[in-house]
Amino acid sequence: MFYRTAGQFKTSYSADQALFPVRQDAVLLIVILAFAWIIFPLTASEFTFQTLLIPILIYSLAALGLNILTGYAGQLSLGTGAFMGVGAYACYKMVTLMPWMNPIVAILLSGVFSAGIGVVFGIPSLRIKGFYLAIATLAAQFFLVWLFEKWAWLYNYNASGAIQVPNLDMFGVYVAGPQATSFTQYYVVLAIVSLLTWVCINLTRGRPGRTWKATRDMDIAAELIGIDLMRSKLTAFAVSSYIVGVAGALFVFMWRGAAEPNLFDIPLSFRILFIAIIGGLGSVLGNYLGAILIVGLPVVLGIVPEALGLEITSATVEHLNVMIVGGLIIFFLIIEPHGLAQLWRLIREKLIIWPFPH
Amino acid sequence: MNVHLQEDLSKHTLRADDGIAKGADLLKVENISLSFGGVKAITDISFDIKKGEIRAIIGPNGAGKTSMLNVINGFYFPQQGTITFRGEKRRRARASETARDGIARTFQNIALFKGMSTLDNIMTGRITLQKRSLLWHALWKGPAEREEIEHREAVERIIDFLEIEHIRKTPVGRLPYGLQKRVELGRALAADPALLLLDEPMAGMNLEEKADMSRFILDVNQQYGTTIALIEHDMGVVMDLSDRVVVLDYGKKIGDGTPDEVRNNPDVIDAYLGVPH
Repeated sequence: MFYRTAGQFKTSYSADQALFPVRQDAVLLIVILAFAWIIFPLTASEFTFQTLLIPILIYSLAALGLNILTGYAGQLSLGTGAFMGVGAYACYKMVTLMPWMNPIVAILLSGVFSAGIGVVFGIPSLRIKGFYLAIATLAAQFFLVWLFEKWAWLYNYNASGAIQVPNLDMFGVYVAGPQATSFTQYYVVLAIVSLLTWVCINLTRGRPGRTWKATRDMDIAAELIGIDLMRSKLTAFAVSSYIVGVAGALFVFMWRGAAEPNLFDIPLSFRILFIAIIGGLGSVLGNYLGAILIVGLPVVLGIVPEALGLEITSATVEHLNVMIVGGLIIFFLIIEPHGLAQLWRLIREKLIIWPFPH
Repeated sequence: MNVHLQEDLSKHTLRADDGIAKGADLLKVENISLSFGGVKAITDISFDIKKGEIRAIIGPNGAGKTSMLNVINGFYFPQQGTITFRGEKRRRARASETARDGIARTFQNIALFKGMSTLDNIMTGRITLQKRSLLWHALWKGPAEREEIEHREAVERIIDFLEIEHIRKTPVGRLPYGLQKRVELGRALAADPALLLLDEPMAGMNLEEKADMSRFILDVNQQYGTTIALIEHDMGVVMDLSDRVVVLDYGKKIGDGTPDEVRNNPDVIDAYLGVPH
């Protein structure tokens, strides 16, 4: 009824390849963007900014980066946390060595460093696949976190061994550090995440996306139709690590404010892998849905008992969180192994013909 | 073939138009031997493929036909012998480079990219022709979009030609076998190949699907002028379609010539009847 595609004819290939070929999708996107850019920032409290809006965006971006590598190019990686760390430390070194640098430029440049490191650790993918590659990326994970701890130059020989985000301003407004407001930081994060999402959609719908998907689906056939597998895999590693690195810089500079090496340890990698898998591998939208679920659920679970007037200690809430999130992950993977994005795709197919069953 | 396709084809710049005269040697295989450890897959085989012809490679199971195709398209490198394609001797190179030189193929067991639609699968066939860099594609608007549309037009002509317009946006995993084979042919055609290798294009098809596929193969050969080398077990099809046939048995060449010559060759009859030697 409301989601009919009948009567929307495309008269050019450009229209057919458009980002949102269905009119209702475009309307939906405008509504979502209006909420993200105007309504949420005007109405959100400090608590909402810090526990929901900003972390959901940052985790979505990190999952999007991982999804390029694992979902599109089919190369399993367990080193996401460490690559986020590379981005964060690179950003920290840049803003402390060159304080005049524009913080947004620094954040966008920090991805270049993680892209470089990502390509280096992606080289084993030319010889090994699947679980073996996952173990190779695990080596990156352990090595890099060890490096963050042992190489004192990285954290400017700070006695605590942690990096502390300094106050950074842009045109007179503080965007990072203790003086920055959540409101500004939210907009910075939103702008960067929107930009990189748009870039990722462009990359995945054109030739690069097809090259990656061909590599994922059948690498021998891909090679025999002329795809250079080495190039395809390494560009996937580069693009993925770039995005993950930027997400890491945002993670520390726009949200956490400070970071110790163990922040980037393997639990972070798994958290992002869960978001990508639950959201749906090989999808851009899925990362957002997955991040909303994984970040949002504990917050909701923390608020609900209080709102109902139940007396539960915070430790019990914490345990309940873990149990319910775990249960939901299993539930979702059984109901829809291709993730929330696939669930949305199925709902769409049904909606187009609704109220008729076929 | 409908009329508008014919005029479309005249706009098409084909890699098949490469200055080699019709009937001249396009590919020459000389004294090729290939073995895997102690197993000799191919022993001292020579033949040629002439521009514009349909060349069949036949033989009983295990005769080395698919190995021969894998050698031609660079997936295997023979221990002995030379391959000359368009007058140039093949050196050892990555398999992806043979595709760039203009040799496309289909596979015995369908090797489509299951997670992609028909359209995207055929578009992958044109990846070697797409030159814009990653940065342009990140921007999309401008050169990258123009390039995508230009190749989309070429792909749509192939979709028209193969009569698969209705499954354009369907994920190939959902298609029946016969259509998947057709999509695979489309993907190979999309590369504008100078030489098209078909590995059992009609295996597992019913009579009607075989008739369709035969028609497409003949049309490709006649309208696009593409040289075709095919492996096929259905002798009726092979004898009707091909201009010349090479027969392999136990990795050796036992016959070569027009379908009539091969049909009457006593060695070929023996091989197919299983006469011990």
